Amino acid sequence: MRTLRKSPLVRRSAPGTVINHGLLLLLAFLTFFPLYNIVVVSLTGPAKIAAANGLSVIPHDFSFATYLTLIQVPKVMRGLFNALYITAAGVLVNMTLTCLAAYALSRPRLPGKGLFMVFIIVTMIFEGGLIPDFLLMKDLRLLNKYWSVILYKAVNAYYLIIMIRFFEEVPISLIEAGKMDGVTETRTLFSIVLPVSKAGVATVSLFYCVFHWNEYFRAMIYLTNPDKWPLQVVLRELIVSGDKAAFIGALNYLKYEVGAAQVDMKALKAGVIILAILPILLLYPILLRYFSKGALSGAVKE
Amino acid sequence: MSTTKLGRYFPLYLMLLPAMVYLAVFAYVPMWGARLAFMDFSFVGEHTWVGLKHFRTLFSSTAFGSVIANTLVISAMKIFINFPMPIILALMLAEVRSRRFARAVQSVIYLPHFLSWVVIAGIFLDLLSLEQGAVNRIVVFLGGRPFPFLTQGDSLRWVFVFSEMWRSIGWDSLLFVAAIIRIDPDVFEAAVVDGAGTFRKIFSITLPAIMPTMITVFILNLGFFMNAGFDQVFNMMNDAVLSKVDILDTYVYRLGLQGGEFSYATAAGLFKGAIGLLLIFGTHYGSKRLTGKGVW
Repeated sequence: MRTLRKSPLVRRSAPGTVINHGLLLLLAFLTFFPLYNIVVVSLTGPAKIAAANGLSVIPHDFSFATYLTLIQVPKVMRGLFNALYITAAGVLVNMTLTCLAAYALSRPRLPGKGLFMVFIIVTMIFEGGLIPDFLLMKDLRLLNKYWSVILYKAVNAYYLIIMIRFFEEVPISLIEAGKMDGVTETRTLFSIVLPVSKAGVATVSLFYCVFHWNEYFRAMIYLTNPDKWPLQVVLRELIVSGDKAAFIGALNYLKYEVGAAQVDMKALKAGVIILAILPILLLYPILLRYFSKGALSGAVKE
Repeated sequence: MSTTKLGRYFPLYLMLLPAMVYLAVFAYVPMWGARLAFMDFSFVGEHTWVGLKHFRTLFSSTAFGSVIANTLVISAMKIFINFPMPIILALMLAEVRSRRFARAVQSVIYLPHFLSWVVIAGIFLDLLSLEQGAVNRIVVFLGGRPFPFLTQGDSLRWVFVFSEMWRSIGWDSLLFVAAIIRIDPDVFEAAVVDGAGTFRKIFSITLPAIMPTMITVFILNLGFFMNAGFDQVFNMMNDAVLSKVDILDTYVYRLGLQGGEFSYATAAGLFKGAIGLLLIFGTHYGSKRLTGKGVW
């Protein structure tokens, strides 16, 4: 590589290379800067927040005032808790259903496998639609219960198929060896198949994890009590209503130590956005590793 | 099936059961529930069959016509303008000699794919706001007048196109980068020996090689034409621009869940589903004929 770069052939195309690198850097910058700017705004102190704008690069009057206010806003803290709870419970349900079914369907000689696959694939193509979904929740008396959101897309056909592909790659000899010793199917799944399919389990759990964390619409329509809303719905309300008094709660408005009155609306918004993407940022290195593999292996279009 | 065979596979069926029951209840029951489109919804007692009544109302309403038009226009803008972008990006990335540089750029531009549309809407509404938004700050700095991107229907449609691009250009390039990597390097070397330049290589080797991937992705996009991106539109729209950006899915939501017109909204949803279905089957068989690879 290094010798190639010095060859006359490459040097001749140098302007093109410079332009190409420049454009890619520009794209990376355009992706990165808006996110960075939000961090800056959220860390700008009350004294300078009025002057902070979309081009601010440094948080003047650096302070955690925004976050100190946010942790005192019950709506935000409950939202954070609800989101974590729904995501954790959701992924647990997802993975239990998906792994059990994927294991059964990864066994090559299971009679009726084709029919089951059709049954699953049909759910990728046909959908009842928003209103029938809503009425089903109503009939099941799940409205305003966390379960309505936890169970939403509890079995995702795409992810189930990816999981089957991962399980199919487990060497058959490993599984047969267990069978000889009279090990049950469930034991085989938990002590042989899952341990050797760690990458698959990680990939599919992360898919489900990001899905639940980012879900807002079903939570918004199924959960009528705002106390149960996950953070994304709280953020949406903040973006749409944009009313600080309504958001913090008019009664609580004056009693905050940091002085909610001084905290600017755009700083609050920026702070909630950062909270809403924090888990994604923390998981990002792992997400990058597994998502790209998963996306290519299953050719998932999302 | 003999009893011993059934006995042998019984545990497997038992493991399959929870997922199948889940799908039967949460996916198949709503499909059956969609017959509400042909009924009048009633909170107490049985719904009454009314045949195509709701569809007739639907097709004769002017609102529905503009909703369909908005859906088609927004979808077309997004698909046709955004489709080539990840391909161009993948070609640019493939020209980068330093793997480390390419990977650094990739890891930055993949990030928006993992963010929810609520977050992205929050970011773009800030970015484009009239007074403090970065874009209008630059416009003013250059001597222009701030432009109301978010409160004019036509400009908001362009905001949809560009925010979609911002979110997916990186991630969507992944498939194409992978397809380019699979090309035999010897072919490129032979082309260089024959005196081919960068663009010659792209047009004569790379693009033909990734053509099947391009066709598959394009066709998949067409299959989802009727969606037009509910989450994006829903989070970025406002009442001032409703007539230009109201799409089928937002219409169903407003009518059904906000207006309580369950049957009518189900009919609108079913209509969208039926067209979507035609498109998906059409593209599936189209894709099979063109590339030998279907959608499923």
